[in-house]
Amino acid sequence: MKQKRHDHIDLLLRLAWLEGWVNTHGAYEKAVAKREPGTGVNEAARSRLIGKLESALAAVKPEPPLTVGAMLRDTRVTRMLRPQEIFSRIGVTQNIYRMMEQDAISPLKIPVEVWNRLVTLLDLSLGELEGMLRRTHQLVLFRPALRGVLARYKPAGRKGLKAATLETAFKEMYAKAELDIPESDRHRLEELVTALRKQ
Amino acid sequence: MAARANRKLVDQLKNGDRNGCAHLVDAYQQRLVGEAVEVFHVGREDAEELVSDTLLAVVRNIHTFEFKHGEGDFHAWVISIFRNKMRDFVRKQATTEGVQQFFDESELAAVEEYSAHEMQIVRAIVRQYEDANREPEDVDGNGVNMKLAVIADVLDRLETWERVLLRCRALDVPYEDIARYTGKPVSQLKVYHARVKKKFIQQLAGYFPELKGNETETTRPH
Repeated sequence: MKQKRHDHIDLLLRLAWLEGWVNTHGAYEKAVAKREPGTGVNEAARSRLIGKLESALAAVKPEPPLTVGAMLRDTRVTRMLRPQEIFSRIGVTQNIYRMMEQDAISPLKIPVEVWNRLVTLLDLSLGELEGMLRRTHQLVLFRPALRGVLARYKPAGRKGLKAATLETAFKEMYAKAELDIPESDRHRLEELVTALRKQ
Repeated sequence: MAARANRKLVDQLKNGDRNGCAHLVDAYQQRLVGEAVEVFHVGREDAEELVSDTLLAVVRNIHTFEFKHGEGDFHAWVISIFRNKMRDFVRKQATTEGVQQFFDESELAAVEEYSAHEMQIVRAIVRQYEDANREPEDVDGNGVNMKLAVIADVLDRLETWERVLLRCRALDVPYEDIARYTGKPVSQLKVYHARVKKKFIQQLAGYFPELKGNETETTRPH
């Protein structure tokens, strides 16, 4: 006879775990990794699922990165580069590079020579970079407004998760939106792009 | 499961290599179906469907995944997707046949150790959860979620090792692992598990004074 390991209290706790009120801080994940996988899924089900996944994989088209930070992170992961392999070659410090990856610095504060080295190193198209420069500057410029919204947001329940989700959504929104940036900034961005094109 | 193999698997999927799909299925299909059936008491057919949805979500979103902390990141990510799928499944069940039926009460251990009042409390929380799920205006699930806040509150009042024991055992984390996390011997944890559950439900009772009345009556096992 199958041993009954769970009772009604476990049921409540499992519901709470599913809804994010209970956290095992990685203990459950570790237990799953260590457990011997059960049996019972037959070969036909396995093949069927592999077929489904292959079709899904063929249909996946990664969205092009919106910002400089997203592009740097994607490229670094895809090409399996370490951060120092990039920042030492483009001539910025580790801190500046980290800020670039996090879209925490305006492209206007990075010298044109650095962008040129980056274009060469990562074989970027200037057209794509131009859009990313504008969107990154816009994101940096409007970040204080984003922080203001987040500060007013009082999350219930899974605090960190909800705030993080909201921040990601706002970042994407700001990056995608065509917002009015100051005339002087627009002018400087144009100058940067022109300088890049010349070189 | 070799964590290092995960990096290769992620690279394969990110590069569109079809071999990655077979590797993903071999690493996770049986394992997650086992979790759904054994830990969450989902029927095998539903479990296979749920795991299929989970792995499809992994493949479709693989480009958003990054290793940030270490080799275990991918496994943690897959489990978080599995948890979300399982939660959506349970919420759907709550609106139709009900959570207790879904968890199949007959599969649950006998409840002699809990009084009728304590069982009433469990059922009241589950009922509130089901009712909140049936509210059509609660589109983001916040109301659903809040019905279980009381569980987190009560857990916070327990000692740390008691909290770890309850949370981990509900998800079948082995006693040996819990012993390492808490510094308590396995034998002691096994003995204390039922007592800590009892303490938990008694503290939970404090949140439901309106259900008091028949504390002395003991429920019969199913």
